[in-house]
Amino acid sequence: MSINSKKKECLAMLLAGGQGTRLGVLTNEVAKPAVPFGAKYRIIDFPLSNCVNSGIDTIGVLTQYRPFELHQYIGNGQPWDLDRLNGGIYILPPFMRASSGEWYKGTANAIYQNIDFIDNYDPEYVVLLSGDHIYKMDYADMLREHKANRADCTIAVLEVPMEEASRFGILNLKGNTNQIVEFEEKPKNPKSNKASMGIYIFTWEVLRRYLIADEANPASENDFGKNIIPNMLNDKQRMFAYKFQGYWKDVGTISSLWEANMDILNNRESGLNLDDDKWKIYARNMAEPPHYVSPTGKVQHSLISEGTVVHGTVKDSVISHSVTIGKGAYVEGSIIMPGAVIEEGADVRYSIIGWGAKIGKNAMVGETLDQCRPGEWKISVIAPKYELTEGATVGANEMIG
Amino acid sequence: MKNNTMAILFAADAENHLNDLTIHRTTASLPFGGRYRLIDFALSNLVSANITKIGIITKNNYNSLMDHIRQGRDWDLNRKNGGISVYPPYVFNSSHDVYKGKIEALYTTRGFMLEASEEYVVIANTNIAFNIDFDEVEKFHIEKGADVTVLTYKVEDPIVRKVVVSADKNNRITDMRLAVDADKGAQLCTLNIYFIKKDLLISLVDTAYAYGYDDFERDILQKSLDSLYVMNYEVKDYVAVIDRIPSYFKHSMELLDPKVRESLFYKHSTILTKVKDSVPARYGVDSSVKNSIIADGCVIEGTVENSILFRSVKVGKGAVVRNSIVMEDGIIMENATLDYTITDKDVIIKDGRHLSGHESYPMVVVKGKVI
Repeated sequence: MSINSKKKECLAMLLAGGQGTRLGVLTNEVAKPAVPFGAKYRIIDFPLSNCVNSGIDTIGVLTQYRPFELHQYIGNGQPWDLDRLNGGIYILPPFMRASSGEWYKGTANAIYQNIDFIDNYDPEYVVLLSGDHIYKMDYADMLREHKANRADCTIAVLEVPMEEASRFGILNLKGNTNQIVEFEEKPKNPKSNKASMGIYIFTWEVLRRYLIADEANPASENDFGKNIIPNMLNDKQRMFAYKFQGYWKDVGTISSLWEANMDILNNRESGLNLDDDKWKIYARNMAEPPHYVSPTGKVQHSLISEGTVVHGTVKDSVISHSVTIGKGAYVEGSIIMPGAVIEEGADVRYSIIGWGAKIGKNAMVGETLDQCRPGEWKISVIAPKYELTEGATVGANEMIG
Repeated sequence: MKNNTMAILFAADAENHLNDLTIHRTTASLPFGGRYRLIDFALSNLVSANITKIGIITKNNYNSLMDHIRQGRDWDLNRKNGGISVYPPYVFNSSHDVYKGKIEALYTTRGFMLEASEEYVVIANTNIAFNIDFDEVEKFHIEKGADVTVLTYKVEDPIVRKVVVSADKNNRITDMRLAVDADKGAQLCTLNIYFIKKDLLISLVDTAYAYGYDDFERDILQKSLDSLYVMNYEVKDYVAVIDRIPSYFKHSMELLDPKVRESLFYKHSTILTKVKDSVPARYGVDSSVKNSIIADGCVIEGTVENSILFRSVKVGKGAVVRNSIVMEDGIIMENATLDYTITDKDVIIKDGRHLSGHESYPMVVVKGKVI
């Protein structure tokens, strides 16, 4: 009785249910993957586009926290070419069973609860992704390595500067091989600089066993990082690192979200080039006319998307679609999310202005910053839809709304 | 709610007067407003009024139109019921003759109209950028008990090819004729958009075809003014009829006016177009842009003033684009200058070249040329 579920060699499961508390007011009403990014995208556009560009056409998106915006954004998957007769994109929220029903307890439990969905496609491999990373990656290449290694699990790793390694989950490899022997979450004294990117490929038959065993263990936190991966390592399963080269950033904090946006602007230095016909990042289109810069507008070193009107000055900023920047307003080093209005004479520096927010006339938000350490920028944040009153002042690093 | 109206669009009309801009395309697929093709306006207005059974009659060079429309998905027209049907320009399947006038063209869609369950038809040219509410037109048509509703607009000093309309105080059209030199000031002219009962249209076309007529306005409408209620519906919102290069240039530049953009893009219908997933526009450190419309995908290192840049246009360092229209994928290299110039798609202006036309007759660079 299975409907349109021909066998798929590989499908992807995208964990999109987390709240993203470190993004503060930005995720009060939407899940982190639905947060706008890079003037016309949402964070989730990156893993979705990577899947499609890698030839993965069957994707389960696991949602839980504040899912409506995300569900509406994904729709039938058409913007990513995922409206398919066979496969396509499926939203998988927690659901009731005949005798029980529960929320997703952890990342492993979320996949466990959807074993039936995955079994329906009888896949050999499952790609496990999270919805809060900005990167372009060919999962097909990672799968080739997974197969060549006859691996049970392959984890994508990025070589980070040794002094930053203690901020990541670190994988220790055997000799000069890519075989993983140890996983340490944020080690004080890291033995390697190979950081897990939170991107996994599992041989489904193996993962399936571990998920069932994990669920049966009442002491487990049902988490991939804390339970499944350590258990597989203890059992000496074949686990390999896939060395990724290129841009990757976890945008789980205000500072890193700001940085990643600036990285698109500084694409030559950062290596995050989105203008790539061979690897397009797809997004739902908002049907807005092109943007307009008025005779009083001044724009330098910035990104601007459709539907926006600029009467003021914009410098070193990422301006999303449908934004209005009033006459005499000054915007520097900031991210203005969709539909925000910066009224006349307002001054916005090193800030993130949430979607639909309004910065009243002559208000001052944020300060020009001296060079900060990566991840430690003092960015001011105005909540989505918040209306900052005329003439109000918001200091550096403050979060309003 | 199911709509009782279908539509037939003419992809080609007046195109002989757009010269270099329609060598490679029909008027319907002429790029306009930084990211649109002219047919987007007709399609979006129809879809917005829930008119979703749409036939498009093509003439020549319709590859670019087919490439733009595909299955109509970008206008939500990939439907089981209705959607877009494209009609090649041949009078009969067996003939090699391309239709001569609108009457023959409509005759080719006779079967399409007969099969449809809709009671009314909108027939429209596609060289018009507009944003109107077709529900209001339908309401007007029914309330007035009209046989044919002719959409009109005010034209200042109409050129000779325009059809001038006179109407009485009840809005019944009493006269229709080509404009003459003596027509000065604001004159009511047809927009070449009509609302008509389908059965009546079929019978009028059948009769006219049998007589060998070819001109819809002259041979059908003008002759029916006494026998039918031909009513005038004046469109008072912004309307841009693109029939010559100067009018293309003039109406494009009008988009720099916020009031025009408000009316054309936001008034009644959302204007939809083919989605290309371009990246946001990028401004360089030394860029200077004033009073211009810039589409996504552009990279601007130079100066742009009073201009329209379509998607993915590159303006190099020291380059100056003034009073110009640069279509998709145009590259203006370092220190080149453009003034009163329209460059078609994929044009490259090399380092240091200077091109200049005049406001009354802008220079046109044909698609794909390297200068």
